[in-house]
Amino acid sequence: MGKFKGLNYRRPAYLLMLMNMFGFGLLFVANSYNPNILYVGAGLLGLFILMYTIIVLCRMGDKFIMLMACMLITIGVLLLCRIKIDYGIRQIMWVAIGGAAFFTVYVVYYNIRFWNRMWFLYLALGTGLFLATLLFGKVVNGSKNWISLGGFSFQPAEITKILFIMFLACYYSGSWNKPFLRLKPKWVTMLGTYLFIGFLVLQRDWGTILVLFAIYIFMIYVYEKGYGFLAGNVGVAAIVALLGYKFLYHIQVRVSAWLDPWSDIADKGYQITQSLFAIASGGYFGRGLGNGSPNYIPEVHSDFIFAAVCEEMGVFGGAAIIILFFLIAYRCFKISITAQDPFDKAVCLGLTLMFAVQTFIIVGGVIKMIPLTGITLPFVSYGGTSIVVNFASLGIIQAISAKEERGTGGAGHESK
Amino acid sequence: MNPNKKIIRVLVVVCVMFLSLVTYLLYFNMFEAEEVATNPYNKRQWEDEKFVKRGTIYDRDGVVLAETEVSGDERIRKYPQGRLYSHVIGYCSKVYGKSQLEMKYDKELLGQGDIAISFNELRSGYDLTLTIDNDLQQYAYDQLNGREGAVVALEPTTGKVLAMVSYPDFDPSAESLEKNWNAIVEREDSPLLARATQGLYPPGSTYKIATAAAAYETGRITETFQDNGKFERDGLSVDNYGQAAYGEIDLKRAFEVSSNYAFCTLGYEMGPEKVLEEAERFGVGKEFGFDIPVEKSEIQYKKMTAQDAALVSIGQGQLLMTPLHVAMMGAAVANGGKMMQPYLVDTISTASGLTLSETKPAVLYDVMDAGCAEYLDTLMQGVVANGTGKSCQISGITVAGKTGTAENETDQDHAWFVGYAPAENPQIAVAVLLEYDGGAGGTNAGPIARNVIRKYLQK
Repeated sequence: MGKFKGLNYRRPAYLLMLMNMFGFGLLFVANSYNPNILYVGAGLLGLFILMYTIIVLCRMGDKFIMLMACMLITIGVLLLCRIKIDYGIRQIMWVAIGGAAFFTVYVVYYNIRFWNRMWFLYLALGTGLFLATLLFGKVVNGSKNWISLGGFSFQPAEITKILFIMFLACYYSGSWNKPFLRLKPKWVTMLGTYLFIGFLVLQRDWGTILVLFAIYIFMIYVYEKGYGFLAGNVGVAAIVALLGYKFLYHIQVRVSAWLDPWSDIADKGYQITQSLFAIASGGYFGRGLGNGSPNYIPEVHSDFIFAAVCEEMGVFGGAAIIILFFLIAYRCFKISITAQDPFDKAVCLGLTLMFAVQTFIIVGGVIKMIPLTGITLPFVSYGGTSIVVNFASLGIIQAISAKEERGTGGAGHESK
Repeated sequence: MNPNKKIIRVLVVVCVMFLSLVTYLLYFNMFEAEEVATNPYNKRQWEDEKFVKRGTIYDRDGVVLAETEVSGDERIRKYPQGRLYSHVIGYCSKVYGKSQLEMKYDKELLGQGDIAISFNELRSGYDLTLTIDNDLQQYAYDQLNGREGAVVALEPTTGKVLAMVSYPDFDPSAESLEKNWNAIVEREDSPLLARATQGLYPPGSTYKIATAAAAYETGRITETFQDNGKFERDGLSVDNYGQAAYGEIDLKRAFEVSSNYAFCTLGYEMGPEKVLEEAERFGVGKEFGFDIPVEKSEIQYKKMTAQDAALVSIGQGQLLMTPLHVAMMGAAVANGGKMMQPYLVDTISTASGLTLSETKPAVLYDVMDAGCAEYLDTLMQGVVANGTGKSCQISGITVAGKTGTAENETDQDHAWFVGYAPAENPQIAVAVLLEYDGGAGGTNAGPIARNVIRKYLQK
């Protein structure tokens, strides 16, 4: 690795540290000198330096994805500290756990060669998690998608997203071609997809449904020959969506709140109008960190954090976040394209689409471009499961990238 | 099969998705954000008030009309005059937003643009001093005595609003508003409508002032009319008020008795073009800026015929005006043909008394030349001296005026009077409107105008 290449990643790393120091320093001053803010900032900085040093020293592949994810986390934690310092403190705990998950997943994924043969396991695990949610889950904000285990709650749907992608990749990488119960793998994959989606309908988790369905559709587009199967799936989904709109009150409320939130600001349009008030009050450059009133927005620490970014950092700050996500997606696409192993390629594509679609759905919903469906903004929103799972996904992508960087020395998947 | 080609296409789709997010965000900020940010439900608008004591509003003599009381974190907007200024100063409610002066001068009242030297210290907003005379306002309100309508008093030479009352009204205090909002909104007599500035009414015969000006300009003031009590042309038939027939009369006498026959004839013969031109000179169909929202007076015809011109000439047909605009019409005659820009806010000053800005009187429209104004002045003096406006005579003061009784969609006519005094050196111009009053302008609206004028001049 030449000197020039070394500079290439160091400079953005310094920028990230600078951003961290300035951000938390300013917030410290604006937030009446609460020392906790400095501790959070310092803790975050320490974590980044540690993680990044390991990535660079161990030659773990792409050096930019983690940098950009850390930038998003910095902005997220900054706003969480500003919204409520407790959120910020708990979030860096999650970032630490997420970092551990990142390296664990990296090592595990890198060294195991038979991922592509375990489609049944992914399906069974996913189904098991869904059943557990339905049986033991508790309802939060109208969606039954939390499980409590000994005082520790998590959202199984986040984990099933990764299982689902691995499941799809088994078939679409071409490693699975034996029929199951006389059904061709293509149909088993489709049934599995709609099984997952069906469970999510029972949980009323519309955001995750959209993410899974979009990933499935893109996968079909990329891997299936011809467009008949794609058109069939899209057509049936459109009919189901229309029927859902006709008969499900949940969906009607969301659509009418999207079309005209202003006629019912106090009730159904409350969330989205509060979000729009925040964005509109921020203007281009924002009201300044600590000067806005993000606490008027419901769920501001999770689903609506993008509105808080726009209020305090302005539309340009919001656009910067969107561009960061796009750059992450771009790097991941690149890894997917260069990946030699077909299973790696499919998994990486699926995870990339997960980040991209999820960002599009929640940002588009918060700015009222599309109907709002609650889902977290990866790396920015507060939430343990979300942060850990997103880090784990990044660990998989990093492992795939490392395999490429090291040539065939890594563990390619055995094919039959 | 190599899927890379299709993966690149997916990348392009993702790129378009992200681009559309950024584009929509920018679009929203450019074209929708301003309206959204000023929505009364946006609680951020009230944050400034936490650190500011909203400015006080005074009448021209320093009587407090609106002030903010601070108790801890609470800010209570008080209106010591009660309902008297509900249509001038408006209200200031966290739930229903702001209206009238409270809305238009929100920035000034909050002292924005001022540099806050220290945080968390209560600043004072700027104070407004109005042109309104609180005694006159109260007197006009009492004169209206619960009848639906409006009274507007102006200083003809400057355009200062001396009094402006609309009735029905409401209690503008936030507490009462939040309790009674639904009842207020649902009431059939619409108390939230500021009739003086936002009510549009056919001006009736008061508009003959404009028609007479047009007659003067076209050199028809020497004409005489054979008034048989009924104007009939091309199937249009208009009676004089009370079906009176005045025989052979000249223009001055026709104005004094308010002959519909004579003025319909003038309008019909001058034709739509001249009638429209005169209306425009008086500002009908044009917007003018004012300190509170004001409706635009209007003539709504797709294509105006001679009959329409005849109707407009007596202030009927599709002609609608606000009471404020009718008062401005009278004030323009009083001011030698120059219609002044009306205004409510005289000075803006800091809490410590430093004047920041003072409104300078300005000519709004050059309606007519001095000769025409002088001619109209004699006509209007005649109305009060020996015409329909005798009820307006004040001993020792020459009053000039014009009555109006405007037909509308109901069978209860609107009663109008517009006038000014003293005729030699006008100090006050008054317009009175009684909505759906059913009586004649001279008998019902005239005495209110007379009393308001007398009260002001005796001061």
